[in-house]
Amino acid sequence: MAFFEQHIHEEPKTFLSKYVFSYDHKVIGKQFLWYGIFFLGVGGIMALMIRWTLAFPGEAFPLIGQFLFPSTNGVIPPDTYAMLFTMHGTIMIFYAITPILIGAFGNFLIPLQIGARDMVFPLLNMLSFWLAFVSAVILFGSLFIPMGAAAGGWTSYPTLSTLLGSPGHGQTLWTLALFILGVSSTMGAVNYITTIIVLRAPGMGYFDMPLSIWGLGLTAILNAIFLPVLGAGLLLLLFDRVFGTTFFLAGAAATTGTGDPVLYQHVFWIFGHPEVYILILPAWGIVSDLLAFFSRKPAFGAKATALSMTSITILSTLVYGHHMYTTQMSPLLTQTFMTLTMTISIPSAIFFTNWLGTIWKGSIKFPTPMVFSLGVVFVFGLGGLTGLYLATVTTDLYLHDTYFVVGHFHYTMAASVLLGGYAAIYFWMPKMFGKMLNETLGHIHFWLTFLGLNGVFMGMMIVGYGGMHRRIYNPFVYEFLEKLIPINTFVTWSAILMGLAQLFFVYNFVHTIFFKKEKASDNPWEVGTLEWTIPSPAPVYNFKEIPVVKCGPHELGNPDLTGERDFQYQTEEIPAT
Amino acid sequence: MKTANGTLHLDKRRAVSNIGMVVILVSFAMLFAALLLGYVVFRLTNEVWPPMGMQTVPLTLPFVSTVIIGASSLMYMNFEKSFNVKDVNNSKKYFFLTLLLGLAFMGVQFLLWGQMADIGLYVSAGVFPSLLYALTWVHAGHIVVALLALLLLVPAVFKDYSDEKIIWVQNIGKFWHFLGIIWFIMFVVMFVF
Repeated sequence: MAFFEQHIHEEPKTFLSKYVFSYDHKVIGKQFLWYGIFFLGVGGIMALMIRWTLAFPGEAFPLIGQFLFPSTNGVIPPDTYAMLFTMHGTIMIFYAITPILIGAFGNFLIPLQIGARDMVFPLLNMLSFWLAFVSAVILFGSLFIPMGAAAGGWTSYPTLSTLLGSPGHGQTLWTLALFILGVSSTMGAVNYITTIIVLRAPGMGYFDMPLSIWGLGLTAILNAIFLPVLGAGLLLLLFDRVFGTTFFLAGAAATTGTGDPVLYQHVFWIFGHPEVYILILPAWGIVSDLLAFFSRKPAFGAKATALSMTSITILSTLVYGHHMYTTQMSPLLTQTFMTLTMTISIPSAIFFTNWLGTIWKGSIKFPTPMVFSLGVVFVFGLGGLTGLYLATVTTDLYLHDTYFVVGHFHYTMAASVLLGGYAAIYFWMPKMFGKMLNETLGHIHFWLTFLGLNGVFMGMMIVGYGGMHRRIYNPFVYEFLEKLIPINTFVTWSAILMGLAQLFFVYNFVHTIFFKKEKASDNPWEVGTLEWTIPSPAPVYNFKEIPVVKCGPHELGNPDLTGERDFQYQTEEIPAT
Repeated sequence: MKTANGTLHLDKRRAVSNIGMVVILVSFAMLFAALLLGYVVFRLTNEVWPPMGMQTVPLTLPFVSTVIIGASSLMYMNFEKSFNVKDVNNSKKYFFLTLLLGLAFMGVQFLLWGQMADIGLYVSAGVFPSLLYALTWVHAGHIVVALLALLLLVPAVFKDYSDEKIIWVQNIGKFWHFLGIIWFIMFVVMFVF
């Protein structure tokens, strides 16, 4: 299957070529992992500041408040609050979740799971990381300039984001940073797609690929098609801010000759809705695999899962209008978008049922990656179902821009993707770093995170249903929202619990990588995909001999298997009955 | 036997980079599609176009640009053909002509921007000039990138010819023709209608 012979690379000798400007997909994956975890921390602290303001308005933020906001004695000022929720959203979506799932695991898993020695364009891969790095420096730097960083929300709708709404350079740098990040992700996507097409091991058809690769591949396709659309929108915004064009200034073209702010919303959501699936598809793929591995059963309807992920990918490009019901769209259009959106529940239901079918009557084991995967099943169910209320025009008109929306997308994006990312980290840790993370700490991490996040996001949906708007500095100036202060306090305490839970992970992760002596075995989870046929951690050249694939990725618990193992490697024939 | 293997290897490498290049071009196409979509939306939702009594851009310069970029694509095709058969003299000639026409295109773009400013179409004068400038800027930016990519071929054309470079020639060619096609669409959508 592989299009050309892959040479064995020599191991790089110098520190720079080995750890910094490395061409090795595994090192680039690890770089993205550290990058993502760093920003997860930054975004998380921002989230805590936002929550603190909502629960205890007018009180100083503990510990670091005095240092960060000396002028207000530690209290978060309103303009900083707007900056915080903007940067929290941007950082979490583009600089934490995307690098961890797509950057780190996309890079790490694709060559290993399809039996290749590296990505097809290693130089492009390295450039992709370093462009992402430049973008991160610009975004992070924008926090420290006069007048501060962008404050127009993570969507940066005009006119909030044009010079009228955000004077100063923060918003300009935000736009620039995101554009550069988009270029970087597109480079990655080109690499992923080409690698999957040309470098699959001999004998590996598309349906013999693990579902993780399906998820990552579909994500790459969406990235390659839709990031340029965001790029177009960002370019126009940049032109508006820097060169004085008038694309997004309000006013009718015929009378004032200016453009239309709603145009940006269209462009943003043409990209933005696929972006939701860009984030969730890798997590779906990974969870589909892990559920099968730890139920010791073949993935139920793996082909149907792959095909429903594909049809969701296609449908996701046709539904963006459901983000814009309140922009005075024609009712014909809103109804159309509503119907198309509802259609997505069909493939979603298919693979959700497949997940349940996979664990049904399995001999389930509960190591940390599995509990995280089961967590994804639960929170994604909740996130998906609450989406129906937002897809329906009549209910959305009420719920739009309330905390219900915030709760919903955090359940799908933050909760599902984050837990999926953690599942992947715990699962592939031995192959990445050659050591196992501590199971007890992992379980504590899971349960505290899980309790915390449900407290936070369920609470958000309740206050949203109660009518609390998002993005307001102090909603309790409105009399009808005063009664929501206790729930907001509960949400904040849950967020603090969730934040503290991450310390268990950080300790576990850092301790394991730098101080733990005990090495992991080559195949600690006893699964048969290609990356587990090679030593842990994976050597520079991945595979000494390019493997020949003879069966699918989930051959577990086959009654015809002879010998000790209850699984077989993808390089082994299925025993004849 | 060795050469046969070598050609086979080259064919496969070529197929791989073709796939990569097609994905890249799909991405670029989406960028321009989004921008043109914006243009079309404003164009169709306005009864009077250009709005606010602005002047339309005279067709001469855009037409000259179209002819130049079309000619440069033809020259590039000739260059690729002669490069493939190792006709060094012709490939030098056509490469030079492509580069020259590319630079001429950029020159005409600058004249066009100057002319637009002369008839009162300033960048900040409203959405009509904004659209014209933004689209031509983005396109010109890509032309500059393509010209730089052409310069990457200089060593292969003038010094050490190698079969491996055919892949580069083909892919840069795809990008060059792609920009020509985009310009033609822009010419029809923005200047003719």
